[in-house]
Amino acid sequence: MTSEATDVRKVGVDLQEATEDTRRVVEAIERDNEDATVSYLPGLVKIQAPGRLVVRRQTVEDLLGRPWETHEFQLAIVSYYGHIAEWDDDEIVIKWDH
Amino acid sequence: MANTKKLSMKQRYSALTRDLDWESSYVSEEELFPHTKFEGIKIHDWAKWEDPFRLTIDAYCKYQAEKDKRLYAVLDGFAQSQGHLTLSDARYLNAMKLFLQGVTPLEYQAHRHFGYLARHLNGPGPRFAALCQSIDELRHTQTEIHTLSNYNKYYGGLHSWSKMHDRVWYLSVPKSFFDDAISAGPFEFLIAIGFSFEYLLTNLLFVPFMSGASFNGDLPSMTFGFSAQSDESRHMTLGLEAIKFLLEQDEGNVPIVQGWIDKWFWRGYRVTALVAGMLDYMLPRKVMSWKEAFELYFEEQMLGGLFKDLEFYGITPPRHVEHAIAEKDLLSHQVYWTLYSFSFAAAFTTTVPEAGERAWLAEQYPDTFNTFYKPRWDKAQAIIDGGGRFFFQGLPQLCQTCQIPMVFTEPGDPTTLCQRHSVYRGERFDFCSDGCKWIFDREPEKYVQAWMPVHQIYQGNCGGPSVPEVLAWYGIQDGDNGEYTGSLDHLDWRRWHASEPAVASTTKES
Amino acid sequence: MARERAGSGLDNQGELIAVAVQSIGTYEFPSRSRQELYGDDQLVHVLWRNNEMFCAAACFRAPRAMTWAEFTAGMVEPWAASDPSFVPGSTQAWILDDDPFSPQPGMSLASLGVGHKSLLTFEA
Repeated sequence: MTSEATDVRKVGVDLQEATEDTRRVVEAIERDNEDATVSYLPGLVKIQAPGRLVVRRQTVEDLLGRPWETHEFQLAIVSYYGHIAEWDDDEIVIKWDH
Repeated sequence: MANTKKLSMKQRYSALTRDLDWESSYVSEEELFPHTKFEGIKIHDWAKWEDPFRLTIDAYCKYQAEKDKRLYAVLDGFAQSQGHLTLSDARYLNAMKLFLQGVTPLEYQAHRHFGYLARHLNGPGPRFAALCQSIDELRHTQTEIHTLSNYNKYYGGLHSWSKMHDRVWYLSVPKSFFDDAISAGPFEFLIAIGFSFEYLLTNLLFVPFMSGASFNGDLPSMTFGFSAQSDESRHMTLGLEAIKFLLEQDEGNVPIVQGWIDKWFWRGYRVTALVAGMLDYMLPRKVMSWKEAFELYFEEQMLGGLFKDLEFYGITPPRHVEHAIAEKDLLSHQVYWTLYSFSFAAAFTTTVPEAGERAWLAEQYPDTFNTFYKPRWDKAQAIIDGGGRFFFQGLPQLCQTCQIPMVFTEPGDPTTLCQRHSVYRGERFDFCSDGCKWIFDREPEKYVQAWMPVHQIYQGNCGGPSVPEVLAWYGIQDGDNGEYTGSLDHLDWRRWHASEPAVASTTKES
Repeated sequence: MARERAGSGLDNQGELIAVAVQSIGTYEFPSRSRQELYGDDQLVHVLWRNNEMFCAAACFRAPRAMTWAEFTAGMVEPWAASDPSFVPGSTQAWILDDDPFSPQPGMSLASLGVGHKSLLTFEA
């Protein structure tokens, strides 16, 4: 599938804007995804990125100052769009397949 | 012990899910799983099913318990601090009444039917994912009831939601939608609920409700909503995996799946019409318009993102989607006007939008509100100023497929009501749209059985012929229904906020 | 085995020919809205054209033997009066299904050709 550079489809996650922990997760996502844009709705943080979005355990742990397993992301996630291409001990990757 | 290396997520998932499965020896696979052939779907290798969450039962229990703990801490604090008094306005709760009556019973039905899938799908991966979803849906049912039960102490319309769901005319819209899904085969159900509802449309249902709750001071509903929605992202994944799995297993599955997408997009979209009315009219403090939510969550994320991905398999965007797009400027106005016209027979109240709300609606809908909808609100206000209240004093014509009164207009003509019909076995059946007619025409044997609330009233099956008899049979009590201004909720609210003394002598005095 | 559901066809009377629902057993159920369930009555739909107050057509249960005059005075007009600008006796330009319709007040709905779930529309 050839796709023009101008037409990179976005992927994204919506997170609860609830806890101090979630704020660190958002910060980690911003750090690991240069092109990510973050916007706010009541109670909600919306993060979008062109093509691919990654959440890295190491970055989150660095910011939280404690161990964090990727399953914990389930406490924050409200919705997403794209396809969960990877969810293992070290990272979560959301992108489109095709 | 000290040298035992912890298993990786992938290894744990494999050990706790697939390794616990076994092949039957006393009965054939076909006898063990008798329901996965009759829909014509071909599966060659169930092991190809992926679960990206790699969720195992231990992790599932740990995180679900944590979610519940957080939620119940919020519920307790809100109840103890008389949090209901800090809502934006008592009429905000009409949105949550609609939610409890219309959506919570669907969660329970989903719980039951995912339990069925957890028994009946051949592969251990999808069976386990369905089991988790079944438990999730039960959790949603319970947390929604617990959350809203606090308001039931103070406000009308929250007391008999389960009975109402089975009986009341506007609740037959979500009920018949879900009944349609659970009476289909397991694969159609997966596409209907797992994919079309959970992945395509659920954001349009939950996110506006929960952001609305947040913005209107309803911390408990916001918290249960987001708590439920955190499971929802797993359900979206199940839906997306289901569709990709079916499409990859056999080319012959593609046209069957396309037909289900076409059907279930329109079925689900018609149910979300109630959300459109809620979002634009029932929230005293507005979050986003239906049009904006539709553009963001459906047009941008689904049509612009997901369907580009599914093109690879030969899947096209749902049939009739162009009508949904064209309706985004009209839908909420048509639906809320209908609720306004019939709220004497509803377990919530309605009222004419205030001046500020009308200005907001005109701003959000510059092409339609002032031209088509403001005039009828002006007239409704004039009737009130003359001492009356406009109600549709009769019963409406219903769509045989979606069961919504036939209030939608001709594509391209917002002033002419859309009328479609088909004749089947000598009987005429009516539809609100091309989408609903198309759905009926492909399975008329199914939809002729529909329990149409208006027809049932006329057959004498709903308590009696008069409005009070039907309302009693619905479980609607004084104070639940009608006009908000002057209602029990309104009077109580004013009494509780002492700066605005209550005016009517009907207020309960201590 | 895999059958594509292309939708049902129409017979030469314009009626639907059903394709069987895929099911695990016999799938045969009667309509829950069929005329016989209403005895000597039937359902009739009435729409006030170009009236923005009524969100939809109304549905009435009316005896098939009811005269047009009784039907309009006893059922249609009380409903139409939900809109205070309705003037009794002002209904005109009736259409039955797709055809212009000039009913004689003394004739019954059945003899006028108004059937179960027929759609009548008018202006006022």
